Parts: sequence; C-alpha cells; structure tokens
Amino acid sequence: MNVNVQFREDGDTLLGYIEGEIDTYTAPILRDELEMIRLSEGLSVELDLSNVNYMDSTGLGVFVAFYKKIVKENASLKLVNLSSRLTRLFEITGLSELMEIGEGGATNARI
Amino acid sequence: MRDARIIEIVTELDIVTARKLGRDEAKEIGFNDVDQSRITTAIGELANNILLYARAGKIVIEEIEENGSKGIAISSIDKGEGMKEIHRVLEDDYSSANTGAGLLAVKRLVDSIDIQSKIGKGTTVKVVKWLS
Amino acid sequence: MEQIRKQYKKILSDYIGNQSESDLYIGQNFIKRMIQKNVTPEEVISIHKRALEEIYDDIPESVLHGYDFLIEVMVHFGLKVQEHQALLAKQEELRIEMEIATKIQNLLLENEIPSPSCVDIGMISVPLRKMNGDYVHFMHDDERYLSVAVTDVVGKGVPAALCMSMVKYGLDTLEYANSNPSYVLEVLNRIIEKSIDDSMFVSLCYIRYNLQTNVLTWSSAGHEPSLYYEEKSQSFHDLESKGLLLGILPEAKYTQQDIELNSGDFVIIMTDGVTDFRNREEIDSRQIIKELALANRHLTAQEMCEVIYSELQKLHDFKLEDDFTVVIIKK
Repeated sequence: MNVNVQFREDGDTLLGYIEGEIDTYTAPILRDELEMIRLSEGLSVELDLSNVNYMDSTGLGVFVAFYKKIVKENASLKLVNLSSRLTRLFEITGLSELMEIGEGGATNARI
Repeated sequence: MRDARIIEIVTELDIVTARKLGRDEAKEIGFNDVDQSRITTAIGELANNILLYARAGKIVIEEIEENGSKGIAISSIDKGEGMKEIHRVLEDDYSSANTGAGLLAVKRLVDSIDIQSKIGKGTTVKVVKWLS
Repeated sequence: MEQIRKQYKKILSDYIGNQSESDLYIGQNFIKRMIQKNVTPEEVISIHKRALEEIYDDIPESVLHGYDFLIEVMVHFGLKVQEHQALLAKQEELRIEMEIATKIQNLLLENEIPSPSCVDIGMISVPLRKMNGDYVHFMHDDERYLSVAVTDVVGKGVPAALCMSMVKYGLDTLEYANSNPSYVLEVLNRIIEKSIDDSMFVSLCYIRYNLQTNVLTWSSAGHEPSLYYEEKSQSFHDLESKGLLLGILPEAKYTQQDIELNSGDFVIIMTDGVTDFRNREEIDSRQIIKELALANRHLTAQEMCEVIYSELQKLHDFKLEDDFTVVIIKK
C-alpha cells in the first residue's frame, strides 16, 4: 500500500491531490510531503482526498499536525472531496468543526 | 620489503583488483589458504564500504614487521562524510543495520582494527593481521 | 590445531575405508571438539582438503581448486551467520525489555471492574500488540457515583502506551467519581495538550452514573459514539457528540448530556478498533454490534462483551488491526 501526493499551484492556492491509503506505514510519507510545503501568510492549501480510500488515526494525526502548522503561519487549509467514510471520521473526532471541509472546486479537474 | 600497494576504489571492478593484490601479497608473506581468504574478504568489505558511504577512496596494502613477526596491514582511506559514534561501530548491536557490511565483521577476520574519522573530512580504517 | 588435523584425518580415512555409520557418528561428535577449539567452518574445509591430499596423492588439481573456492565462500558465509546471530541476540534483548515494559504497563493501568449492586458492568480490552493504546479507567465512590473513562491514544504499541500513562495520571488527579464529565474532559485536554507532540491525540468517552437516580451523564472527545439501547422503545440511539479530540486545542470546550437508565437498558462504549473494518466497506460494524447485543441482552454485561469480542474477531478472520475495547453498562 502506498500514498502519493501531487501539487499544483493556482494563484494564491496550492492544490494537493492525495491518493492511496493512509495508515501507520504510509502516514510518515504523507507527513514528509506536507512538511515540504513552504507555508507563507495568506497561502491557502486545498487538499483533495477523493482518492483516499482509507485513513486510520495515525493518518488523522498527520492532518492535525499540518493544520496546527497552517494556523501558526496564518495560512489556511481546506480538505475537499472526502468519501462518506472519511467525512464520518472527521465528524466523530470533532475535527470537522475545526478544519474547513467541503466540496472541491478547482481540484475537481484532475491534476 | 616491497613497497605498499595502493588501489583507488571508484567502481566495483576496483574491489576485485584490490582483492587480487591483497591475496597475492598475503600469499607472498606466507599466510595459509584460510587466512588468505580472510584477508581478501576483509579487503573486499573495506572497499565495499568506501563505495557505499564515500563513493570513492583508496585501499593501501603493505607488509609489516615488528619484533620479528611478519604481518599485513590494510588501510582504507576516504574523504566521505565521516562517522559519528566510532566507539559504537564495533559494538555487536551496531553492526549491519547501521554500517552496511559492518566493520564488526571485518574485525572478526583480523587481529586488530583502528578507526579514525572526522565528520565531513573522511574516515581511515586500518586493520592488521599477523602471521602466526 | 595439529592434533585436530591428525584426528580428523584418522576419522575421515576410517570412514572412507568402510563407510560405517559409527564413523559418521564419531565425525559429528568431533565437531564439538572443534567448536571448543574455536575452529571456524572455513578451517574445517581447509582441514578436510589437507587430509584428503595426505590420504590420496592423486587428487586432481581441479578438485583442490574446488575446495579453495569453498573456503573462500565459507569465510563470507561465516561472517553473515555471525551478523545474523548478533541481530537475533539484539532482538531477544528487545523482546525481554518489551515484556518488562508490558508488565509495568499492566501494573500501572490495573483497574478492577466495580460491581455496584444496582447496575451491571462488563469490560474487555485486548491490545493488538503487547502494549495497549486503549485504557479503561473506573472510579467508584461508595454507593453514589460510578464513573468510567474509555480512552484510545492515536497509534499503537509503545508510543501509545507511554502517552496512556499520562492520561491515567490525569484521571487519577481528578480523584472523585462525581466530577462533571465535561469538566473532566476540559481538564484532561489541557494536561494532554501541553505535553504531547502535534500529531498525537487521545479520544475519550467519559461517563458518570448516579447510582441513586440512575441518571447517566456522558461527554465525548472525538470518541467513537457509544450505543444506548432503550428497552421501552426497543431501539438503539447513538450517543453522538462533536467534542474535539483531546490534545489539539488548549481551550476546547465540551458539552455533556444525561439519559436515564431503566430496567433492561444498556450502554455500549467502544474504541474505533471495534468498529474499524479496513478493507471491507460493506460491513456495517455498528449494526452488527447492535444485533449481537440485542440477541444476547439476557446475558450479563461481561458475557455480552465477550460475545461481541469473539464474534467480531471471527468477522476479522482473527486478524484484528487495532487495540479492541468494549465496556457495557447494563441496568
């Protein structure tokens, strides 16, 4: 199992397209990919999760850590196109109240 | 006594050259077949470490004599990253996972081993085996 | 060494002469002596080669070269075997350390299931690996309040277990079973937020049961919703809340809600290891748990927990992927 991230810049928005399963083994890969993003004030990051078919709590941890970094840098984060399973995971954990989760606009077109 | 032999290690072929010269030298000095194999294996491991960790370096093979006994000394010299924690390299639990083939393995093949390393400057490993 | 050579040559030539089983046996036993004398495998081959050369003077050169080749290969083989043994020794050392750590964890987190007279409580908590990232904490004040916290630390194994000790001490400092669940979560959240890494968090469901009024007050921080079965309407309700996981925001607020347990009612609290079926989206695990609980509600709370565990384990083909914890409170 693997996880793969591709980025595309669109003005002030950085679009990330994540694909695969995020578990104890692949979470570190995703974390490293997200850590490489150079965050700056006002940057908005939009992560498309439509092709993430599984995520466990370690994967959730990666998003939590990334979200904290975003807040620190005054940037913004939006997660889009979550499957119903993932949506439920973010709801149960209260994270959907904290992070912006929605329908993808720009990333609907595949990168 | 012959001059020291120096072999630049840049590609895997150089490992074979170093082994060949080392074996000839060991035979010349009078080591038996098993010790010849051990000396050659040690040279192979050292040369392999050069390629793995420093990309390039050299192996120096020389006959030595001290208090009437003869032996062989092999040095591997590179200008790579250098090693932290030299003292740990020779501990049992540090072996292969951290140093490839492992200097610990080389140590078992010879009588003594000496490691000098400076971070960012490179590493010199010198091993000695005496004719018993 | 010379003596070993001579003895080996004798045993070898005896065997070549009459090929008897007893010479083979003697040969194998002779290896013990060789090991005592620190003879290595490549030396054995060298001794063998020399012995053959001495017994026969017409051995072809090519065969002798074959032995030289074997000696060379065995030097390296011996090295690799030694390295492998060193790794095995290291692994054994880690295993022993792990065992000690597990014992310490079990001692630290030891908690007896209380047995008050008016309500039945059952619990099962099975770690995936040796150390548990789930933890159930009970508190029981004489006959007034009983409280239970079901917690799950992100991740598994040692890191989760270490974090768990902190949660336990946080709960211990609260001391009394009568604290408000929302207050408990707010205090724990502050303790945890201060001390853990950005990618760590804890989910927790806290329940306080008033043994005199049968009012059950609950609050949840990012935890798998508990199931509440109401006998009167013969139906299940999800105890849903949107409380945030512990350890993420220092100022997080939590709400609490009450339900009254009547005879035949029960509440099932579980961790996500119970409901998570990774590669089988078609499985509605909460529905299965409801059906199991309903079919077995005549059993004691403890027996119900055990049935749920054994049935779900079967569904998982006995390969659970996470720590597994179920607590049942039954009126």
